Amino acid sequence: MHANLIGLGALILVAGLLARLGRRMGLPTVPFFMLAGILLGPSTAGPVAFEHPEDLDILALFGLVVLLFHLGLEFPVEQVLGSGKRLFWAAGAYIGINIGAGLGFGFALGWGAKEAFVIAGAVGISSSAIATKLLIEMRRLANAETPVILGIIVIEDLFLAFYLALLSPILSGATSAGELILRIGISFGYLAVLFAVARWGAKWIGRALDTREDELVAIIMVGLVVLIAGISAEIGVSDAIGALMIGLVVARTSIRERAERIIVPLRDVFAAIFFVAFGTSIDVGEIGSVVVPVLIAVGITVVTNVSAGLITARLFGLNQRGAANVGLTVLGRGEFSLILATLAIGAGLDERIGPFIALYVLILAVLAPILAANSKYLARIIPDRLLHDRWRYVREETISTACTHLDRIQITETDEEECAECVETGDTWVQLRMCLTCGLVACCDDSKNKHSTAHYEDSRHPLIRSLQEGDGWQYCYEDQSLVREPAGSARS
Amino acid sequence: MGKGVRIQELPGLGTRYDVDLHSGSDRVSIVVGRDGKRHLYVFTTAGDEPTAVIELTEEQARKIGAVLAGTFFVD
Repeated sequence: MHANLIGLGALILVAGLLARLGRRMGLPTVPFFMLAGILLGPSTAGPVAFEHPEDLDILALFGLVVLLFHLGLEFPVEQVLGSGKRLFWAAGAYIGINIGAGLGFGFALGWGAKEAFVIAGAVGISSSAIATKLLIEMRRLANAETPVILGIIVIEDLFLAFYLALLSPILSGATSAGELILRIGISFGYLAVLFAVARWGAKWIGRALDTREDELVAIIMVGLVVLIAGISAEIGVSDAIGALMIGLVVARTSIRERAERIIVPLRDVFAAIFFVAFGTSIDVGEIGSVVVPVLIAVGITVVTNVSAGLITARLFGLNQRGAANVGLTVLGRGEFSLILATLAIGAGLDERIGPFIALYVLILAVLAPILAANSKYLARIIPDRLLHDRWRYVREETISTACTHLDRIQITETDEEECAECVETGDTWVQLRMCLTCGLVACCDDSKNKHSTAHYEDSRHPLIRSLQEGDGWQYCYEDQSLVREPAGSARS
Repeated sequence: MGKGVRIQELPGLGTRYDVDLHSGSDRVSIVVGRDGKRHLYVFTTAGDEPTAVIELTEEQARKIGAVLAGTFFVD
């Protein structure tokens, strides 16, 4: 048996140490794994760990499979389905704008149609790992916009499955339009079958996997996952989707938590090998020729993300700070871009794609945390009318309590002491409420006419407060909760 | 959950519990991660900048919880 253990060990060790150095500066890990591969790869001067990077192939592929399996395994189906229509609109806007711009840019580059689709995915789909870590490190978990950001990136993960299902047939080298459509049909049909298995067959798979011994669970599970991934690749659907979908299946079985615990260390190590292996395949000499396109792509990404952030903020009634945070936190690109790059290299596309995506990911890896941490400067220059014509926002605070509408408060004091509508019709009322957006005073829900609630249904002004002496509470109709004073009070 | 505690799902990360302390600007948010980690956010000033953020393991969180809840606690 001949194996280059010294080279492999050195690669993984250097990758780990480099990433550790990067973490000290608050930078994401994935780009550093890739960097280790580039530095020790055959195309740069200095020591070379692997003369033939393809020796790493099987390990790297295994890394890709466990990475996506884990993604499917921890996909929070219930949380996403339970989060409402607004989130899907926001995520749809994010994906649409980013993929659309990426596609336009890809075609404008003129490297080819297949290349354009790969570039669109690589610049359009953000890294959920990077965004999540950023939110924790910037201490923003309690912010109002954070659930929205997390929701968007999770839906993006799911979108990746569909994008891969679309991309694999495109890259497969179909010679006619009919063949291409057939292959896309097979691809999505296969996806549907796996969805059906996830929905109805999880019980049996769980039974097959479930033994008391973790050792056997690990072995049987890994065997099943790799086999499904392999079969998927054979059908022409891509191993990555197969792995992701079987992750979704196992997530619905009784062994979900054990599976997560077992797979995490495997994923950490082998996914790192996948990123390192990608690095070794990069020809540094090519990087010079892609610098200009990469810089343009980075510029486009920043603009599209900020636009998507503004749309999201409009949908959720967030203020400037929320808009800036949404746009700039989801900027990181990592694992998904590299997966697409690997697919492109495997399919023998334009050689500039590898270096292009590598440099793009590296630049954004450094840029994303810096921009996200300084989002307040962007917040200062976003005009109110981009968010909503009639509301005046408190720009720089993002409210940390449950209600996301506190920044629509425009008026909090009034001299009115009656419900004008009730007076008109000669009715009486129990208590009075005041709309905090337009100042209207009307009767409460214990009163006969419920004019306050009627006003909300009419105007969608979300917040009221009690005018009862000593009450001092506010209520948000949209979030259906009692709320606190606004952070950064908007009193005028 | 009791009154004054609001639950917010953080997709993929865990669940957030916002606890209103009804005392001026004091407020506590606790994120219970899927991985068992607890992120404790303490706010004592109005605004979005937390006064302190502590990351706790499940074990540590249980200890602190027991002390806070007044459960008898030896060593």
